[in-house]
Amino acid sequence: MTHEVIRHLLDDYVTGELTEDARAPVADHIAACAICAAEVESLNRIIARAAELPKSIDPPAEAWANIRAAVERDKEAIARQDTGATLRFRRGPYALAAAAALLVVLSSAGTAVYMNARSADAGTPIASNPANAATPASLAAFTVEENTYLRNVAVLQDLLDQQESLLAPETVAQLKASLRTIDEAILEARTALARDPANKMLIEMLSGTYRQKMDLMRRTAELTRGT
Amino acid sequence: MKTSAVVSDSIGPNLSTMGEEKAAALDCIQRAQAGDVDAFELLYREHAGRIYALCLRLKGGDSTDATELMQDVFIRAWRRLSTFRGESAFSSWLHRLTVNTMLENARGDQRRIARVLPMDDTSRLAGAARSSGIDLKMDMEDAIASLPKGARLAFVLHDVEGYQHQEIAEQLSVSVGTVKAQLHRARRLLRERLER
Repeated sequence: MTHEVIRHLLDDYVTGELTEDARAPVADHIAACAICAAEVESLNRIIARAAELPKSIDPPAEAWANIRAAVERDKEAIARQDTGATLRFRRGPYALAAAAALLVVLSSAGTAVYMNARSADAGTPIASNPANAATPASLAAFTVEENTYLRNVAVLQDLLDQQESLLAPETVAQLKASLRTIDEAILEARTALARDPANKMLIEMLSGTYRQKMDLMRRTAELTRGT
Repeated sequence: MKTSAVVSDSIGPNLSTMGEEKAAALDCIQRAQAGDVDAFELLYREHAGRIYALCLRLKGGDSTDATELMQDVFIRAWRRLSTFRGESAFSSWLHRLTVNTMLENARGDQRRIARVLPMDDTSRLAGAARSSGIDLKMDMEDAIASLPKGARLAFVLHDVEGYQHQEIAEQLSVSVGTVKAQLHRARRLLRERLER
């Protein structure tokens, strides 16, 4: 074998991955070639240093809290489904399409609630549209974002409960009906995601539904400012 | 010859032949499979350090990306626990899940892969190496983090984690020749950067 051929075998030589037949001529060449001998030494140093690297590094302390929150929500979603919670959809080939269509309907419904009430309150500023926010790139990013959504939704719900008497009864009824529909979509998507965590379409759908819910609640809360 | 990281480590029904530690680990896995979150936390505590170290190196030392990936891995692990049958060690199952999760995430967001690595992104890796008492490792971690993605994957999985060429090829859906070429490239670049 020539020097150039043997140089391409040095990686396998140092890690012991050459057959005995191939190993002998390579070893003979290395014994006589200073360039290849130096390369073998260098490769051995790199491999030895890689093997010495720490195998374990402590992760950030808050990581488990995020994981646990996601796990608990999964358990809750699956338990609710298993006990026959009110699900509009059944898992199957039509669930995604139905939920996607629902998002479009919700967007219109939310706008209708807003516009109906806003006709009597032309001075109320429109909240920034969170539906334009970026969808999280991964399940972990979504899990962190979901915690934020849930906290914001809780705050908005408290606000709406306090201000319900300031809204027209038909607006309240329409809001509650819309929120029920959104919650059903959230539960359906959450349950589907628990069973198919790699499904980015579900992550996008769930993220979008949360944003729709927050948007609807925020807009409704803003209506009461001018009353 | 390298030893495979994916050891055939049967966690089967023959409890009488298992050590206490292995039986405790199996019990923990089974309780987690049954929905016990506290048991899953024990599994997390046992394996998080190794998975986080792997995530940090796969992510080129970016601690934010690595934390996100690790969280993703454990959330998926919880959801897929029922698919763990014990044909391999739980740690090997988690390692495979980590690589697969990283590849799936990368396919969904190529921009993140192309992102320029900030100067301080390897600080956590370097800190861990310093705490182990070997100062040279800081340079090694920085050099690994600076490798092109394909070369870094091959080097981390083969030379750091101990996977064989064939196993890496299967996980990355490439040929063994490609893995060897990337590994050769990684070692050459590391030698240039560490020994010049």
